[in-house]
Amino acid sequence: MTSLGESRKSGAAELGVGRVVAWLKAHSHQILVFVILIAGWQALTLWRGVYWFSSPWGVLTRFINGILGGELLSHASYTASEAVIGFVIGAIPATILPFLLRRWPMATAILDPVMVGGYGAPKLALAPLFILWFGIGIESKVALVAITVFFIVYFSALSGVRALEPKLVQMAQVAGANERDVARYIVFPGAVPYIFTGFRIAMPYSIGGAVIAELLSANRGLGYLIQFSATNFDTTGIFTALFMTTLIVALGNWSVNIVERRLLRWRPPPDVRMQTGT
Amino acid sequence: MTAQDTALDLSEASSIKWRRYGVIIGRVLLIGLLFVLWKLGADAVGPIYVADPIKVIQRIITDTQSGLLLKHIYATLRISTIGFAIGCAFGIALPFVLRLVPRITAAVEPYIMASVGIPKYALIPLFILYFGIDDAPKLWLVGLLVFYPIFIAVFAGIRNVDRRLINMARIVGASESRIAREVIWYSLTPFFFAALKISLPRAVSAAIIGEFLVGNEGIGYFIENSRQSFDTVGAFAGILVATALVLVLNSVLDKIDHRVNAWRPKERSMEI
Amino acid sequence: MSGQPLLEVRGLDKRFAGRSGRDTALWVIKDLSFSVPDGEFLTIIGPSGSGKTTLLNMIAQIDVANGGEVRFQSKSAPINDPKSLNPGLNCQIGYVTQEDNLLPWRTTLQNVLFPLEVQGRLDAEGRARADMLMRTVGLAGFEGHYPHELSGGMRKRASLIRTLVYDPPVILMDEPFGALDAQTRAQLQEDLLRLWNLGRKTIVFVTHDITEAIALGDRTLVLSRAPAKIVGDHPITIPRPRDIRGIMTHPDFAALYQRIREQVQ
Repeated sequence: MTSLGESRKSGAAELGVGRVVAWLKAHSHQILVFVILIAGWQALTLWRGVYWFSSPWGVLTRFINGILGGELLSHASYTASEAVIGFVIGAIPATILPFLLRRWPMATAILDPVMVGGYGAPKLALAPLFILWFGIGIESKVALVAITVFFIVYFSALSGVRALEPKLVQMAQVAGANERDVARYIVFPGAVPYIFTGFRIAMPYSIGGAVIAELLSANRGLGYLIQFSATNFDTTGIFTALFMTTLIVALGNWSVNIVERRLLRWRPPPDVRMQTGT
Repeated sequence: MTAQDTALDLSEASSIKWRRYGVIIGRVLLIGLLFVLWKLGADAVGPIYVADPIKVIQRIITDTQSGLLLKHIYATLRISTIGFAIGCAFGIALPFVLRLVPRITAAVEPYIMASVGIPKYALIPLFILYFGIDDAPKLWLVGLLVFYPIFIAVFAGIRNVDRRLINMARIVGASESRIAREVIWYSLTPFFFAALKISLPRAVSAAIIGEFLVGNEGIGYFIENSRQSFDTVGAFAGILVATALVLVLNSVLDKIDHRVNAWRPKERSMEI
Repeated sequence: MSGQPLLEVRGLDKRFAGRSGRDTALWVIKDLSFSVPDGEFLTIIGPSGSGKTTLLNMIAQIDVANGGEVRFQSKSAPINDPKSLNPGLNCQIGYVTQEDNLLPWRTTLQNVLFPLEVQGRLDAEGRARADMLMRTVGLAGFEGHYPHELSGGMRKRASLIRTLVYDPPVILMDEPFGALDAQTRAQLQEDLLRLWNLGRKTIVFVTHDITEAIALGDRTLVLSRAPAKIVGDHPITIPRPRDIRGIMTHPDFAALYQRIREQVQ
């Protein structure tokens, strides 16, 4: 990430064209793969027809028209707001709870089996239940997203609180900090990286959860658009909606990263961290 | 618990014992409380929204005895196992193949990593369109959802293998296939198991979600079918069974992980 | 000791490529030559960053050279092309590296037996030999322990006898006792000399500790700062068996130490 910043700074000094050429040269293999992928898709289209595989050009024009006409954007923002509201409702208690429980290890231990069970349970299987309770509107999707996000973030925040160095707490107490100061100045900053790891893992799940609930039953949103296009055998519509969904996931990851980098400037650059993806 | 707590506990053996009993009693009470709340909730909002817990348990027992539930469980497990095997095979094999062609790997890697972001569940309608309504779309879904975590773990694992261990093995005369089987494979087993723990339960959930949307068998079908026919007791029973299935799987995997990776020093950072 | 050297290094060059591909390449080793007769315990001493590890890596054939050659039993080994490298030269050159490089998923005994296993030589005789070596260095009773359950000194011992167990004619050692405390270090040096006495293998032992170089070696080479050249060649006349802990009190020690110290700069 820092290398990007550096190259940007030096880029301002050099000529723009030279830099573009250098970039193209450095990534020539990757560009080649992109061309092959698009060409392969086009070949599939020519071979089996637009009906099965749509076409690169068709998806692009549909996407642009959808953005300009606002229809695609309105579905996308509906899905995104489900994800964001659900994320907030799930993540806030999940972040706070481990801090409240810090002073009562007994309570944490008693809660543990329920939390582990909730973490492992297939939350998506609850989707029919939420639809039954909250109807086909936004509420059922928000509920599904919130419960999915809750357990992921809870365990990240918990491990953050547990990873706390007892030495730092002792140092603060020796320096005259009271319990609230310790929580505020020692425990919380130390746990922030863990909480953000939880956010980063939960992010794709929140959008995925919203889309799945929409696939099951909805009358708006990208999941609905995918399902609607599928029932009309409109592959271009499916691909366009899928592309938009992927774009939102990328946008979500990007914003979590931005916020994290802002908040964690004190931290040394991360090592290669283990990622397991969605 | 912090190191401080543990030290205190060790100083008083009786207190640690007391604490342990306290936790067990607390857990039993908590689960009892949840059950009572469920019952009260069911009585309050009515049987259409929340099924009576006693009726749910009765339903699970009768449907197990009639074999109906077992049939659906079998269907779900069949899809998840086959899909898992497919996803796992590709997820393991592909990184080993890519290892041999570093230039192609460098060119393809960003696209593979970008495709991680595609919400796989959203592909179901496409799979149904392409592959019909039998097992195939569900297998594709399960396979894809399993493939990604395994692929990423094995790929990163291979990349992070300690070069020095490989050199050591070469010097003492190990063949390349021996190095792949021993040094590389063992080095990545912790990564692989971390991915396995994520993807095996996920395979079952994926099969269930697939069954929500397509087909006429499996736990997912059982739940969704019950919901659509306003059989709330059935939906609750199905969800309970699905949850139990995944949780049992999780604990079995935990046990296996501890046994297979006994050589590894205990690290807390490995848990996510 | 016969006249024909077992291992020869002739005109060896090594450079690390400059950062931006421009011609600012850094020469680590330039035109380095020396030879080691059969059965000699050669110690090589040099300041840190003098390319000692790189030199051993090239002799062990896990790194390429940019010029010159390494000859083993009068045959030239191909070390200028990464594709034709033959690490360990068909198990004739053993290498005890700075890190112990034990396989963490194998127990101590399984680690020691690893070379025999991959060479297809794991028989009763090999097991007996491993058993004897384990006892000699005091690892008896730890056969079933995993590396992370051993102390640093024990791990070193295990990595040492893992190389000795398959009996390569030449053994390279790269500051094997570098990271240990003084007490463990002396103990391991004694162990090493005792083991060496059993078979009198040819050993090339790299270190940055002058006392260690004198205490262990038949001969000591002194390397300069990069690009590394040989700036001193000292036969160690202190008779064997040597008293490692009391080596500094030997009458020849002080003069040797002084001469070597002046060259290590």
